[in-house]
Amino acid sequence: MSGEEVVVMKNIHKIYPDGVVALRGVDFTVKRGEIHGLLGENGAGKTTLMRILYGEIKPTRGEIRVFGEKVSFHGPWDAIRRGIGMVYQHFTLVPTFTVKENLYLSLLSVNPKASMDEALERVRRIVEETNLKIPLEYLVEELPIGVQQRVEIVKNLIREAKILILDEPTSVLTPVETEELFKALERFKEMGLTIIFITHKLKEAKRITDRITVLRRGRVVGTVETNRVDVKDLARMMVEREIIFKIEKKPARRGEALLEARDLHVLDDRGVEAVKGISLKLYRGEIFGIAGVQGNGQRELAEALAGIRRVESGRILLHGRDITGLSAAERYRYGLAYVPASRRIGLVSEMNIVENTALTNLYRVLMKMRVINWSKASSIASEVVRRLEVVAPSLTTPIKYLSGGNQQKVMVGREIVREPDVFIVSEPTQGLDVAATEFIRRTLIRLRDEGKAILLISSDLDEVLQLSDRLAVIYEGKFMSVGRPEEYTLEKLGLLMGGVSV
Amino acid sequence: MSNVESLPRRILQSIIGFVRGWIESVRVKKRDYLVAAVELILAGLTGFLVAGIVLLVMGYDPIWIYSVLFRYGYSSPGYLGARSAALMMTGLAFSIPILAGVFNIGGESQLYLGALTGLVIAYYTGNIWLGLIAGFIGGAAWGLLIAALRVYRGINEVITAIMLNWTAYYLIIYIILKYLPNPTQSHLSIQIPENMMLSYSSTFWLAVLGAVIAYILLYYTDLGYKMRIAGLSPRTAVYAGFNPRKAILFSMLLGGGLAGYGGALHIIGVASAFDTTMSTVFGLGFAGIGVGLLGRNHPIGIIFASVFYAGLIIGGQFVELYTGAPPYLSDTIIGIIVIALAIPYAYRMMINYITLLRGGGK
Ligand SMILES: Nc1ncnc2c1ncn2[C@@H]1O[C@H](COP(=O)(O)OP(=O)(O)O)[C@@H](O)[C@H]1O
Ligand SMILES: [Mg+2]
Repeated sequence: MSGEEVVVMKNIHKIYPDGVVALRGVDFTVKRGEIHGLLGENGAGKTTLMRILYGEIKPTRGEIRVFGEKVSFHGPWDAIRRGIGMVYQHFTLVPTFTVKENLYLSLLSVNPKASMDEALERVRRIVEETNLKIPLEYLVEELPIGVQQRVEIVKNLIREAKILILDEPTSVLTPVETEELFKALERFKEMGLTIIFITHKLKEAKRITDRITVLRRGRVVGTVETNRVDVKDLARMMVEREIIFKIEKKPARRGEALLEARDLHVLDDRGVEAVKGISLKLYRGEIFGIAGVQGNGQRELAEALAGIRRVESGRILLHGRDITGLSAAERYRYGLAYVPASRRIGLVSEMNIVENTALTNLYRVLMKMRVINWSKASSIASEVVRRLEVVAPSLTTPIKYLSGGNQQKVMVGREIVREPDVFIVSEPTQGLDVAATEFIRRTLIRLRDEGKAILLISSDLDEVLQLSDRLAVIYEGKFMSVGRPEEYTLEKLGLLMGGVSV
Repeated sequence: MSNVESLPRRILQSIIGFVRGWIESVRVKKRDYLVAAVELILAGLTGFLVAGIVLLVMGYDPIWIYSVLFRYGYSSPGYLGARSAALMMTGLAFSIPILAGVFNIGGESQLYLGALTGLVIAYYTGNIWLGLIAGFIGGAAWGLLIAALRVYRGINEVITAIMLNWTAYYLIIYIILKYLPNPTQSHLSIQIPENMMLSYSSTFWLAVLGAVIAYILLYYTDLGYKMRIAGLSPRTAVYAGFNPRKAILFSMLLGGGLAGYGGALHIIGVASAFDTTMSTVFGLGFAGIGVGLLGRNHPIGIIFASVFYAGLIIGGQFVELYTGAPPYLSDTIIGIIVIALAIPYAYRMMINYITLLRGGGK
């Protein structure tokens, strides 16, 4: 039954409007009836490739064949008509509608004349065939994530999807739910469906897929038969690279522990445990790197340390003093700085450089009667601009008119000028050009040499390998290992990031 | 900064910082001001043109109507100023919360509440200042109710405000008829005695004082700064260690309070009493939305916008008088002009608000 190539993507290139090159000539082939894994680090281009197949975005160049026919989709509806379905990382259900209504709605999008009875009949058939249990009368928002995902899958099946794309479906699931999903996928396979399964988790790829295509930086590293490779091979394929440029740095002169976390447990926005018992000690004069694929609890860890997110259990100490109960503002005042991963969180784009600088320097510019001393804020802002070499027309330019690199410099610089001892820095060079990247990295090393303690959270392997004095790998809310960067081979890193302990 | 500095020195320091900051901010926003001015002129011309066409179609001479509108609307500065007071305050009641990301269309009933508490307290204590303070408190309480429901129960403020507007409307009619009847004039509530009333000019300047204080709070204190951050980007506020909920509560406290203060000013400075059909206060809060938008949600802009708007209202009454046209006519004309003037800004603001609603919940 297998063998026939149902999806053939040839030489796909994608350059996003903002100039990001996401895909550089990808060839991708899926055979009928297989579960095909699409494996790669963050930013490898997995989602981009699948959004192209699903018709949501257009490739800059390249050719696509579905069931042997050359296609050029104008939108997902074209793809749906050809039997392609996609379940996104973030679901697209209407939370305040019932499951039944959501399913009916999705059927209407392909068949505007369909009746509710027809939809229910289709759902009944699918449920019978697949054994997927879904509560029809419940509001979607009342359902656990795992069940919502099932609804999302059924939604595609009633539209008669023959090729089902799942984008990191297990990242939102508990282990039990994951196991259920895998059972369902195997069942779908028996029914003759073709499945494309995106993941960065090696064990899952190994467990469920028939073939795997590995992407790295917008290129295909290779396509392999799953039973012919082991997770080590996959890890190597996923992360192999040459380090582009090496930063020279002096050996670290480590001092006393400044920040300490003891057995931290933290929930994510949905209330699911995202940090599952992390302990760490951060010393003066070192850069402690945390590597890992995004979404493994890094954000929750950083926010808990910064005081933005509640800690369920565990303790945080700064200078040996328990700060677990302190607010973010208080922690900042006691010598902690946090540079978030997203500039959309760290900066207010409509406000100017002075107002954005005041954000974490507020306690320094406040006079009596809670009046803000804007002239003092201006002088702090000009210090930021001078020390970080920010290129901007004036201090009063709204931050949105600055380039990404210069925005990042403001975000880092306004912390530096307050002279904190401890920096928590998250994805500091994401989306920056080479010059800005190097500037930021050198700045971090300088701070370390000045005796600051730096916790560097980054999914960029080059970055953590170059900068860290000690390096931990985080996976599903736990440290897989902690060691010196030299102790890691790329293969080992790849395995750890993919959740395989070594 | 040391703690041993003397109080006068601290105050002096604050004032110096304030003046410096103000000069800086004017320098900064020069271009914004210019763009706003051009936009306003173009929008104004369009508004008058469209309204003129409407008048023509309805068989009126637009030139004549406009000349009545502007001749009489702005002919008596004292009265004009006093009539702007309530509008200025309800304008702020709309604009201050919007800066914190809250859509307050409850200025109407916050004004009612303030007018009521102001009237009662001023009447029974014989002290108008207490009345004004009571007005602020009444409006603030009514505004806080909306904010609390949004913050603690996640209820959309627009829905709450619409319902509370009507609740207050009928509640107050009931209270006036039942508990505060006027012994001599049956269509009125109890009345502030003539000799206690504020002069027109004090009424106006007391309103301006409110606007200036709001301006300082918003742009020169950490309270206002945190509020504006929370309004533009709640996630950034959380990152900086500010509490967006507090910002919402504070903005509604201040906005509602000012609307209530405006209601009290209107009673103590202009109307002296409620009438049993509420026509003395009806619409002042809704008009505040227009005033706030005309003033670009900026307290100083709102001072001018309220005077302009009050003039249109007064002029509109003269148009009715001279042409015998129904009140809808002048309302329509005012509506068109105000909408035209507000649209470019309102459009940008709504986009901002909607993106906030979408992303803000996270
Ligand atoms: N809408 C977008 N606009 C600009 N760049 C994007 C967009 N979506 C993704 N990218 C960039 O394209 C690259 C590939 O992203 P993506 O396909 O999401 O990778 P993956 O799913 O493998 O993590 C990344 O560098 C990412 O930052
Ligand atoms: Mg992805």
